[in-house]
Amino acid sequence: MDANPIVLDDAAGDVVVVVVEGEHDIYTAPTLRERLDEALGRGGGVVVDLTAATFVDSSILGALLDARRRAQEQARGFVVSVGAEVEPGVQRILDITGLVPVLPVIDGREAAISAARDGVSGSPG
Amino acid sequence: MTERPEVRLTMAALPEGVGVVRQALAGMADALAFDQGVLADMKMAVTEACTNVVVHAYADDGSDGTADTLEVDLLADELGLTVVVRDRGSGIKPRAARSTPALGLGLPLIAALSDAFEVRGSSGGGTEVRMTFHYMRDADPVESNPIGETGWVPPDRPT
Repeated sequence: MDANPIVLDDAAGDVVVVVVEGEHDIYTAPTLRERLDEALGRGGGVVVDLTAATFVDSSILGALLDARRRAQEQARGFVVSVGAEVEPGVQRILDITGLVPVLPVIDGREAAISAARDGVSGSPG
Repeated sequence: MTERPEVRLTMAALPEGVGVVRQALAGMADALAFDQGVLADMKMAVTEACTNVVVHAYADDGSDGTADTLEVDLLADELGLTVVVRDRGSGIKPRAARSTPALGLGLPLIAALSDAFEVRGSSGGGTEVRMTFHYMRDADPVESNPIGETGWVPPDRPT
C-alpha cells in the first residue's frame, strides 16, 4: 500500500480533484506532475486537495505553479484546497512563500471545487 | 577540537533518500523533545538542503567521476541541533537548463526556517550546508530572513 498516495477524484464531474495525502517531496513530485497532467487533460477545472497532506516541499510547489500556469493559459479554474486544520509541514511553506493568494489556496474541498468551476485560478501573480 | 557527529547518515544521492533523512531527523528531534513547530521547520529546511544535493551536486551522467553521496550529520549540543548536509561533488557550478526547472526556493527556505545557517566548501571538495535549530526560540527566524526579501518571486510573476 502506498503511504503517500496521489489519486484523481472525478466525482464532481466537470472539476477533477487531485487528492494528495502524506509526505511529498522530490521523490513523489514526478508522480504529482503526471497526475496534474492527467487532470488538466480532462478539460475542466482542477482542484488539488492538500487536506490530508502532512508535508510538501519546494519541488511540490514547483509542480503546482507549473500546473496553475497551464490552467491559466487555457482559461481553466485551478485551486488548491486545505482542511480546517493544516499540518505545519504544509501551512508554513504556503505562508512564508506568499503563495496562498497566488495558487490560490482555499479552505475546504467543496468551496475549492465551486471556485475552480467558476474559473478561479489565483491572482495574476 | 574535532567535532564528533552523534549521527551520520551516508547514502546515495537519490530522491528516495530525502524522506529517509526526514525520518531520522524526526526520531532525533523526538528524543530531544523539540517543539513540533521547530521540527516542522527543521524537516523543511533539511529537505531543501538534501534536494539541492540530489539535484545539483553531481553531473547527471556520472561524468564527474565521483560516487554520488549524500551525507547528513546530526549534532546536538546544549543550545539545539545542528544538521550538516554535505555532498562530495565538485562544488557549486552553473548547470544546464532542466526539463523541470527548480524554483530557486531552497536557500531562501533554509535561511528563513533555521536559527543559523552557513554554506561552505567541505574538506572532500563538495559543498556543505550547516543549519542550527534552537530548542528555545526567542523569535521566529522567518522575521529575520523573510523569503520576500531574498528576491524570490513566483516564477511566472510578470516583471
